[in-house]
Amino acid sequence: MGQMVDAFNAEHPDIQVTMTSQGEYYTQLATAAAADTLPDVAIVHADQVATQAFRNILRPIDDLVAEMGLSGDDYPAPVWAAGEVAGHRYSIPLDIHPMTMFYNADLLSAAGFDAAPMTGEEFEAVAASVTSGDNKGFDITGGFPVQQIFQQMLHQFGGSEFNAEGTEATWNSEAGVQALQWMKDVQSKYSEPNLEVDAELNAFKTGTVGMVWNGIWQTTNVTGEGVEFNGQATAVPQIGPNMAVWAGSHQFTLPAHGTIDPCKDAAAAVFIKYMAENSVTWAQAGQIPASNSVRESAEFLAIEPQASIAPSVEFAIFPPSVPGITDAFGPLGEAVGAIMNGTATDIKATLDDAATRANEILEQNRSTYGDAPQAP
Amino acid sequence: MSLATVKKRKFPLTPYLFILPHLIFFAVFVGYPFFSGLYISFFQYDYLRPEATTFIGLQNYLGLFKAGSVKFIEFWNSVRVTVTFVIWSVPFLVLIPLGLATLLNGKAPGLKFFRAVYFAPWVLSVAVISLIWWWIFQSQGGLLNYYLDLWGLETPRWLSTMPYAMVTIVIATVWWTMGYNMIIFLAALQDIPTELYEAAEMDGANAWQRFTRITLPMLQPVFVFIVIITIIASFNLLGQPLMMTRGAPAQPTGGGATEPVMLRIFNEGFVRPFQGSAAAMSVIVALIMMAFSFFNFRIFRRSE
Repeated sequence: MGQMVDAFNAEHPDIQVTMTSQGEYYTQLATAAAADTLPDVAIVHADQVATQAFRNILRPIDDLVAEMGLSGDDYPAPVWAAGEVAGHRYSIPLDIHPMTMFYNADLLSAAGFDAAPMTGEEFEAVAASVTSGDNKGFDITGGFPVQQIFQQMLHQFGGSEFNAEGTEATWNSEAGVQALQWMKDVQSKYSEPNLEVDAELNAFKTGTVGMVWNGIWQTTNVTGEGVEFNGQATAVPQIGPNMAVWAGSHQFTLPAHGTIDPCKDAAAAVFIKYMAENSVTWAQAGQIPASNSVRESAEFLAIEPQASIAPSVEFAIFPPSVPGITDAFGPLGEAVGAIMNGTATDIKATLDDAATRANEILEQNRSTYGDAPQAP
Repeated sequence: MSLATVKKRKFPLTPYLFILPHLIFFAVFVGYPFFSGLYISFFQYDYLRPEATTFIGLQNYLGLFKAGSVKFIEFWNSVRVTVTFVIWSVPFLVLIPLGLATLLNGKAPGLKFFRAVYFAPWVLSVAVISLIWWWIFQSQGGLLNYYLDLWGLETPRWLSTMPYAMVTIVIATVWWTMGYNMIIFLAALQDIPTELYEAAEMDGANAWQRFTRITLPMLQPVFVFIVIITIIASFNLLGQPLMMTRGAPAQPTGGGATEPVMLRIFNEGFVRPFQGSAAAMSVIVALIMMAFSFFNFRIFRRSE
């Protein structure tokens, strides 16, 4: 990102951009908003756009986006939809970072497979063959990102976390039970039990694990120079009847200010457009550009493993664009974690219970946030 | 009206001037936030959305006592986690430093070195000690399980199963903060007049008798002080579980088995937009801490 900002500054002597990054990002944004010291441009995760819009941290940019000549045609529909809140556009997607399958090509070829599995049957075959002695076919954690894996499997089995309006949790459907049952089964057959956060990655790095699923941002950690074996990254397989991939997305937004400087907004538009168009540099850092045209460019298709993961982002899933939606995932994370760690065994009852709690949280959100942002 | 009563009524300015510098800081950083928190706890409050801020009386408090609701489950689960941690950690954080201080209270060569060694972890930040212990306890090639495995012992999942997750946090905390209590005990030990020990020795008291009849009674006030500050410090548990277990393991009924109440309050007020409810939680936790301290005083005063 810093490299891209430097390149932009060099090409645009009349616009100077300074980049900062923060830990505890959304807390920092909130306190900066209270002090009216928000930056002119901010990158926000797709599932946070609605929340930050309703908290008066972001402002709608419909006009600016029209001026920039950007439209949803150049993006997968779900990632573009994530930036629309209460009928207004608040963000422009930069990248999509999908759930990715990392596999130990040495272990796979020793078991007689020269390619990564693409389907449920192939996945089971590979996992079963690699699992022997101290080796595990597929390690799955009980911490992050196990909830995200569940979301992906839920969609693959034809379910959804929420109804379309984002007013009700629907993960306790038949598809939800199937998804979690599948995860529990592969855990008991091919994985070590009760793995904590990142333990599956650390196990993978020791070379005793065939496959793990984690975010694409782990690519440099568990492939190439990061490991002493042939570690590879590719798209996650399609296990259920539908293809679906959990993904996050970084999106450009314009934060709210006491007084809006149209000159700065124009500069911000130039900057955002440049960054989106040149997101192939960002791809080299291990992300998938959100823009279809950038993803189709020869320049991007030359970058591996990003190029071979890229087709999966067509199937990326994003939560409904309502404020506080990430809070409603809390009970889901607890339910999935509890099942995977064995502190609960009744899948349907646990998902039901979590859905009840999530509905209560969604109700609290609706009553505190109202129907539309009070944006300045 | 005599001259004397006029003088008496006159406001004695000088002592207040002496405490003024501290008073200013106290008022700004403790007094104001305290009353502001109390005030906020009666509102549906979000500092970013003044339009949504409304007075709701005791609703925030009542919400925390509404059995079966999400706020009730999550809040009282986290209170239970923190109280469990207090009960598990405080005895070790008082007795181990007391033992260390007794051992290191002398003039033999090398003792100063050991005092420094035991005190050293305390100067580290919570992030550093959490990382160190995470690396020791983690399941994939972590130091502890590596050796347990080598000796053919069981290798529990320290960070993701109970009760081990809580045990790891207690161990990390004891290792981290015992040096501080040890230093206070040491200072108190060195204040005990040596004549007392000499006299007792002449009367034929053995080491254990000298410890229980002289050292412990003389340490009483410091002992009470240490118990109270340790309870308060343990109630403020936040960083260690945040970095070592992230609240894991998750519980099917809601909340994490090692999610402390301070993290719950932070999430309620800063991750979610419910500062009013978060303030109400803080007030309740403060009351619980005061109750603990009160009973602590009572117990030790009775034994006096």
